[in-house]
Amino acid sequence: MRRVILPSSLEELWREMERRPDALVYAGGTDLLVRLRREPHPDRSLICLERIDALKRIEKLGNEIFIGTGCTHSHLLASPLVRDHLPILAQALAVLGSPLIRNVATIGGNIVTASPAGDTLPPLYALNASVEIVAPGLSRRLAIDEFIKGPGQSALRPGELLSGVVIILPTASAIQHFEKVGQRAALAISIASLAALMQLDEAGIVQGAHLAWGSVGPTVITCPEAEAALEGKPLNRESLAKAAELASGAVSPIDDLRASAAYRRKLAGNLLLRLAPN
Amino acid sequence: MTRIEFMLNNHPMRLHAPADKRLVDLLRDDLGLTGTKEACGSGECGACTVLIDGLPRPACLTLAAQLEGRQVTTIEGIATKTGLHPVQQAFVEHGAVQCGFCTPGMVLSAVSLLDHVASPSAQQVRQALAGNLCRCTGYQKIIEAVLAAADHKGERL
Amino acid sequence: MPGTNKIPLLSTSGQIRQDAPAKARGVEKYAADYYGDRLLWAGVKRAGVPHARLLAVSIDNALRVPGVVKALTAKDVPGPNRQGVVRDDQPVLVDDKVRHCGDAVALVVAESKQALASGLAAITFDLEELPGVFDPEKALLPDAPLLHEDHEGGNLLLEGRLVKGLGADGLESCPVVVEAVWNLPRQEHAYLETENGLALQEADGVIHLIVSTQTPHRDCLEVARALDLDPARIHLRAPYCGGAFGGKDGITVQSLLALAAINCPGHTVKMWWDREESMIAGAKRHPARLYYRLGAEKDGRLRALSARLIFDTGPYDHLGGVVATLGLEHAGGPYRIPHAELISQAVYTNNPIGGPFRGFGVPQAAAGIELTMDLLAQRLSLDPLELRRRNLLETGETSPAGVTLSGIEGLHASLDTASRHELWQGRKSWQLQAEPNKRRDLGLAVLYHAMGYGPVIPDEARARLVLLDDGRFRLYSGVVDMGQGNASTYVQIAAEVLNQPPENFELIQPDTAETESCGSSSASRTTYTFGNAILGAAQTLRERILTQAGELMALDDITDGLAMAPGAVRHTGLSLKISLAELAASLSTDQCDVTHYFRAPVAAEPVAPNKSLALHGFPHAVYAYAVHLAAVEVDELTGKIDLLDYLTVSDLGRVINPRLLEQQMDGAVVQGMGYALCEDFVAHDGHSINTDFSTYIVPTSLDAPRIENVFLASQDASSPLGIRGGGEIGIDGPLPSVGNAVARACGVTMRTYPLTPERVLAALNHGGAANDPH
Repeated sequence: MRRVILPSSLEELWREMERRPDALVYAGGTDLLVRLRREPHPDRSLICLERIDALKRIEKLGNEIFIGTGCTHSHLLASPLVRDHLPILAQALAVLGSPLIRNVATIGGNIVTASPAGDTLPPLYALNASVEIVAPGLSRRLAIDEFIKGPGQSALRPGELLSGVVIILPTASAIQHFEKVGQRAALAISIASLAALMQLDEAGIVQGAHLAWGSVGPTVITCPEAEAALEGKPLNRESLAKAAELASGAVSPIDDLRASAAYRRKLAGNLLLRLAPN
Repeated sequence: MTRIEFMLNNHPMRLHAPADKRLVDLLRDDLGLTGTKEACGSGECGACTVLIDGLPRPACLTLAAQLEGRQVTTIEGIATKTGLHPVQQAFVEHGAVQCGFCTPGMVLSAVSLLDHVASPSAQQVRQALAGNLCRCTGYQKIIEAVLAAADHKGERL
Repeated sequence: MPGTNKIPLLSTSGQIRQDAPAKARGVEKYAADYYGDRLLWAGVKRAGVPHARLLAVSIDNALRVPGVVKALTAKDVPGPNRQGVVRDDQPVLVDDKVRHCGDAVALVVAESKQALASGLAAITFDLEELPGVFDPEKALLPDAPLLHEDHEGGNLLLEGRLVKGLGADGLESCPVVVEAVWNLPRQEHAYLETENGLALQEADGVIHLIVSTQTPHRDCLEVARALDLDPARIHLRAPYCGGAFGGKDGITVQSLLALAAINCPGHTVKMWWDREESMIAGAKRHPARLYYRLGAEKDGRLRALSARLIFDTGPYDHLGGVVATLGLEHAGGPYRIPHAELISQAVYTNNPIGGPFRGFGVPQAAAGIELTMDLLAQRLSLDPLELRRRNLLETGETSPAGVTLSGIEGLHASLDTASRHELWQGRKSWQLQAEPNKRRDLGLAVLYHAMGYGPVIPDEARARLVLLDDGRFRLYSGVVDMGQGNASTYVQIAAEVLNQPPENFELIQPDTAETESCGSSSASRTTYTFGNAILGAAQTLRERILTQAGELMALDDITDGLAMAPGAVRHTGLSLKISLAELAASLSTDQCDVTHYFRAPVAAEPVAPNKSLALHGFPHAVYAYAVHLAAVEVDELTGKIDLLDYLTVSDLGRVINPRLLEQQMDGAVVQGMGYALCEDFVAHDGHSINTDFSTYIVPTSLDAPRIENVFLASQDASSPLGIRGGGEIGIDGPLPSVGNAVARACGVTMRTYPLTPERVLAALNHGGAANDPH
């Protein structure tokens, strides 16, 4: 039987982590507690972050939004700041897991778990988000694509905690789009997903495009070539088809029990075509 | 063993339990409250749904230590002294119960929805129940029951 | 004769189920909800390899784990150590050979779940792996590894062959022939309450069991045979099942629990398979490969059919031969086809166990014929509904299997009704409303489904009804309610006949110490067979009550003017009333206690070509009929399928309880939708791959369609109750109707199921047949 510690402040957390350096840290537990069913690690303590209010703030500071990593997905979906300013993220949250999972799982957990299929990640990449990492006497920021190093691997060092996500607000007129392909409409691990953030001018010409694909590589895939192919063009089927071809070539999906690499590759391109106006 | 104090169905509880005991086991094995079911142990089916501080969560992924100071509501705790909770009543009246194994979790998810959304659409009901699997009903009558309970609640207000 | 003996007028109000309030309150106890004093936990160590000789099992380390009480192997199994219903070929604990990964090798009993887990982890065994066989057609080759060396047919568990007219030769003269090979998946029941039970051997040696099972009485016989026990000293209670769908038809935990109980007398032993174990060890719907060739005239009149259905039955019989036989019977559909050769094979492999699952061979057969019919319609440029109409059997004609389908008029009426429905009538304009990147179409399936056990195994029940001292009644049901609400229907029937409110009835659930054997909760038979039995019991009891009332009232004509009323008997004319309690007091105990026997009728025609086929259920006598329409939208970019609307039009005879039928139909349709779109229990070389709910995909509330159910009320002539079993036919329709819709929408033939988005997108992009089983 093991200890389960629920610190209510960061100071308490640091003390516990120092006392028990091999403790397993979790917030919602929807990844860790499921893994522990098969590999119990009975000698390691558990530290649960769900009572640390300092990790749960959502704030707009100037043109930046700060999201505490302890925010559950439900909490984020209910936040006007997220709904109004970051629909690309809200769309992903709405199709992540299920309402029960969203009530306990956190954005911090989704990022640190760094699954190739993590649904918050493509929007965060498209938004060029940064993450804040803290430890006693330390605070640093990294771009999201520097934080996630590989499948299940992050730049978090022992003793460090992911504390926040920092997002510079997109312009109000930007198109924010997310689509996920899964085996069913809820409780589905993504087979492929696309987050697209695009700025059009008054004539409908693409000024800037930020595209990020999930579940088609070891980490989120971006494709500057596809973005460049769209910039300066009208957003239509033709320009999207060219970008789609480039995207298909840029992704590196695998075969697994959910889907084949070939299908994922095709999807990566096709999901772009959804953006064609009708 | 850890000492844990929490409210269970509006009753204060003070007990000793292993800190890492799953809530679903605490309820079923130790407290004899078998209304909360287990069907997967991984948060993927909703059968073990309980309300913690009013929010539906999987009891199979909640550890005893996490209960400290919380309000826990199980299916056994929502009927009134005089009868069933309106959602339970609607489930019964609208044929939303077949084998019934998903019913406690389904009811609690629905109760939470109606506590937050007064007049949900059918689509909103489907979304709110998307984490509760049912193998018997095809969901149709469950959706009807929740909509009816919402109507009824609106009328009573 | 007092009272009236005509078919009682059952009100067709949608009634509230008796079990609903307790289930909604969370207080109804399933088998999983029983615990006990001095509880011990039992669990199984499974083989983990698909085919091997078992050389040795080492339990010493397990016994050293603190809290482990027993570690048992085949050496500890008394008796033949074989269980089964038709063929006893499955060991309780493996003795000679491992035949599938889920085979039970050792049984551990421990004081806690943690000790149990540690004990199981400490068990090792010595295996000599053998080459396995994982494809049923390969299993039929002469040099294939044998599953059961003692089985005369080798790996062929059962083959049935029916020939009509010229058989397959009839295809030679057909102007048009279409052919296809259909690949259907292995489907997992995924009931929410997994296999579980409780067992206790008391000082007198009687073993008491509480089990989640569809077959309580038969289980006792199976356990007794396997463990060489006296079945009269096994007592089994079957509470409501948290879902079963055929997966609890037969032995799951029963023998293992009995074995544990014998070895731990005086202790209550509990076994509860977790989800992964349930998926690995439990039976599944047989995956099937179907070879169809259908020949017709240019005007669409069918002329010849060759169909071969191959069912992968896994390592044990587990009713696999019966499944293949029911598939055989339905393989040609309800159509007039002068020449037909139908072959059905159940084949042993080292894959997961193939066993009963709602539909029981008919989903596969219906898919075979209905998908092929649409292929023909396409080839002939004929409307698919019109093609069905032209070929639907008329009254008195025989099916391609040579069976007369009584009540076929109901299928004509269903087809008529479906064709007039707005979904069918409005399909063109609905199609045009598809948004960009979406395609829409409607798919059709015309279905029939036989009820019961066939001509040899008696489909019988004894219903016992007792008038209690207080004027209320007690109904003894020997049939399990696994969610279909049959328990409520039995009360409803008795309540109607006796004109009492349902609350005045106490229902005794199946309990081998209290209730008689009434057959399995399966085969769409329970309301029919037990319902007719309770009908008879209630009618008999009413007669006795009215007669006695007449005596007590000293009437000249003891029948005239008497009527049952809630709690009493009234004489309307003379304003006399006697309470049922009074009547009960005036009657002897025996007189208050009625048991009525009913046996379902069997087919009059002896059309089975051999005894084995008859034993395995061919042919049946009573049929349900239905027509299904699926409104499907396909996404051209992703291949995802949205099932938007689904219509069922069914003739199930008399509709006793419309709400109950809707419940059954809704649930069956969504299970069938899973079979069509997302459920595929995969095994690679016998190893199960997707063994939990994150990888085995069942539909959620957001996936399920809007469903409309129409029930054509008719009166089935085969029994007083006038009903036909309706619990399964709903699951037969979705795969073919959705498959047909997608084929029409995409202009391709979908041959491999489920229709994952990947398969659909490949078909859209490459055209032609999508054959890749990935």
